[in-house]
Amino acid sequence: MRKYMLKRILFSFFSLFVVVMTVMLLVFSLMDRSMIFQTDDTWNKRNLNERTLYEYMQYQRYGYLNYQDYTDFVRAKYTEQYGETYNSQPQFTADIAAIQNENTYLENATVQEFIAKCKAEGYEMRYLQPVRFKSGKVKPGGTGFLLATREKSVVLRLLDYLKGFFHVETTRDVKDANLTERYIRFEKDPYSKLFAIVGSGTQHKYQLYFDGRFPFIHQNWFSINLGTSFTTYRGQEITTVISKPSGDMVVSRTQYPALLGTDQYEDTAIDFHSVTYNVNPSEADREKFPDNYTTYMFNRAGLSRLETSFVIGLMAVLIAYAIGLPLGILMARRKDTLIDHLGNAFIIFIMAVPSLAYIFMFAAAGTKIFHLPYKFANASPKILGYILPIISLSVRDIANLMKWMRRYMIDQMNSDYVKFARSEGLSEKEIYNIHISKNALIYLVHGIPGTILSCLVGAIITERVYAVPGVGNLMTTAINTHDNSIIVACTVFYTSLSILSLILGDLLLAKYDPRISLTSEGGGGR
Amino acid sequence: MNEQNKTLCNEEELFRFVDNDQFTSEKITAPRYSYWKSVFRVFFRKKINIMVIAFLVLILLVSFIMPIYWPYDQMENVTNSAVYNLSPKVAMQRFGGFSFKWLLGSGGLGNSILYGIVSSSRISLLLAVICAAINMTIGILMGALWGYSKKVDAVMLVIYNIVANVPYILLISVLVYIIGSGFWSFVFALTITGWLPIAYFFRTQVMIIRDREYSLASRCLGTPVSRVITKNILPFLTSVIVTLLASELPSYISMEVFLSFIGIGLSANVPSLGRMISQGQGAFLTYPWEFWPPVAVASAITIILYVLGQNLADASDPRTHM
Repeated sequence: MRKYMLKRILFSFFSLFVVVMTVMLLVFSLMDRSMIFQTDDTWNKRNLNERTLYEYMQYQRYGYLNYQDYTDFVRAKYTEQYGETYNSQPQFTADIAAIQNENTYLENATVQEFIAKCKAEGYEMRYLQPVRFKSGKVKPGGTGFLLATREKSVVLRLLDYLKGFFHVETTRDVKDANLTERYIRFEKDPYSKLFAIVGSGTQHKYQLYFDGRFPFIHQNWFSINLGTSFTTYRGQEITTVISKPSGDMVVSRTQYPALLGTDQYEDTAIDFHSVTYNVNPSEADREKFPDNYTTYMFNRAGLSRLETSFVIGLMAVLIAYAIGLPLGILMARRKDTLIDHLGNAFIIFIMAVPSLAYIFMFAAAGTKIFHLPYKFANASPKILGYILPIISLSVRDIANLMKWMRRYMIDQMNSDYVKFARSEGLSEKEIYNIHISKNALIYLVHGIPGTILSCLVGAIITERVYAVPGVGNLMTTAINTHDNSIIVACTVFYTSLSILSLILGDLLLAKYDPRISLTSEGGGGR
Repeated sequence: MNEQNKTLCNEEELFRFVDNDQFTSEKITAPRYSYWKSVFRVFFRKKINIMVIAFLVLILLVSFIMPIYWPYDQMENVTNSAVYNLSPKVAMQRFGGFSFKWLLGSGGLGNSILYGIVSSSRISLLLAVICAAINMTIGILMGALWGYSKKVDAVMLVIYNIVANVPYILLISVLVYIIGSGFWSFVFALTITGWLPIAYFFRTQVMIIRDREYSLASRCLGTPVSRVITKNILPFLTSVIVTLLASELPSYISMEVFLSFIGIGLSANVPSLGRMISQGQGAFLTYPWEFWPPVAVASAITIILYVLGQNLADASDPRTHM
């Protein structure tokens, strides 16, 4: 069994790699890369050579290629020689200006050095000639540039991605010569009145701590970096985007770390557990904080995107199982009666009609008849906003569960064990609710982990219709805005979930039905 | 004695002797059984099926013939912003009394909703039929091979595990970006990997039948693989194929609606139900006549196709032919 699981997990990792590589190939190589500038204002504002330079800069950020700029090269060269005063060197100014003359720039020694270095590293040279008016004056944005570019291969891109995937904070994380004390140790936490693991030299001050927010114990020590968003959530890490709490700030009476023990209390929403290292804190911050950990986040009342989607999805799944299974059993028991026909009509309607159609039907009925809020954000109290999305999501699961439960129940109804149970004098209720349904559930058990885990993915249409701030539309908006790293991140997330749910489903099935064995050794296997 | 006579007497009344015919006794006769005849006999026994077929024929006739005589032009009133988003009543007043064209009002560009729906249903039906035909054909053939040959199985399982995990929306949108979003490129995008799940489903079905005794016997007699697949395995799976078709056909219409809704559907010059629905959804409370009619038509088509397919699948199961 252990060997089987190990093999299976290894294979899962292999297919995860290949999927990510395929998606990177699709996104980076097959899609036209100039698409990323479609909605970019900075790109629109720039002209001529400056626009081209900006394009290369963006391509590098998105991970299409690496590039080197001649100006940076010269600056680095002279900083090495002359230190901070490189700016005043006449030779420096001459070298920088050399590329502004398209006829003579190749004669400059530094340019030649740059070209030789880049060629040796496998870069391709790109010279952007200065663009001039007829008078000879350079057009706005037309200054010359000398660049070297190197395309990234898919394998290299994947390796780069994997290198930064897991992040573990260490005491050497902060680059600051003034920081002398570096440690990670247990300390008493003045805010939770419990202990906390506190670091110095790490990015976050609190590595492990307790507070009043679910799940009450938190850590900053280990994090996963799925990538950084460019267009939709400018510059934010995707893990932050999906897990950052939203909503109104929660103000509470508390004290700044440096003022603890005094009688200076303040009403603020700052979450003092979230402080991160700041190399140059302001004077005001120095008074309030004892150390350089002065960058903070706020306490917010709302759920994060991931939590919102998960709560809605999980409620929908629970409702679906609570309603769908009993109704399926009932339909099987009353086969070919009115209840069965009504149930079948419902199943056909939900299965056949585009989900968009019935979600809008619920939206219209809910707002017109029950006066429920249409948009999630407008709901007051907040809980009302959850009702319509949960109903819209659960309906499909209900119909699906009814359909299969009925089918499997009917298949089981003529089995020998049912006849035996009946001859033993068990009541019909007992036979159906205990014996048949238990056997019919075997077929449905496999899908349970999948349905629960898929709540983390969110729902595309439901979240759009009710404007729910969840994770369901991350992928679709990323595709429309060409946010490549989000696409890759979503793929990693979705694929891991689907692989995980298959493995968990198999394990649960083997647990539920002892006759089933996952490995060929032992009984039951083929 | 008396009793016996009585019974003898009765038997003579009930039975008569038949001449012993050497010729007929040489033949083995069974009642004539034609598979497809029985399928349709069972199928038409249900009243609802006749109704559903009538509806389908009506939709087909309307959507394929009406656009020939009353062509739909999205842009005909685009310059006249006064006729944008008119309710049926106002639209008919504006365009001079009762007319079929404005029976459902006008849309966001002054286009006729009714004509739009008719043209769109034609496109949606065509898309569904073509995609289903391509995917089912490739899927069934590949699935039969996949399930039959163990070597193919090993390779295809790896491919399937990978392709099934690449997000479907991503694949389609990348393809749409590369090859454009016309009708045929959309068909291409939906079919390039669309056959894989069907083939996978079929692989399992074929594997169940592959090892049955009669297939084994065929193999022992040296029947070529292609013949075993087409004569031994596929006929057994007819009802499974029809069941699958019943859920596949409407799913392409739903898929098109969904993709248009999230913004990667057919291009703007191809009228489709999905596009009409996604255009109307923003204002479904203010201009309900732009949203509900296309939704109703899309739902009606999918339900009709689904019910028709399910009942045909029931009828195509030989166990119901008694």
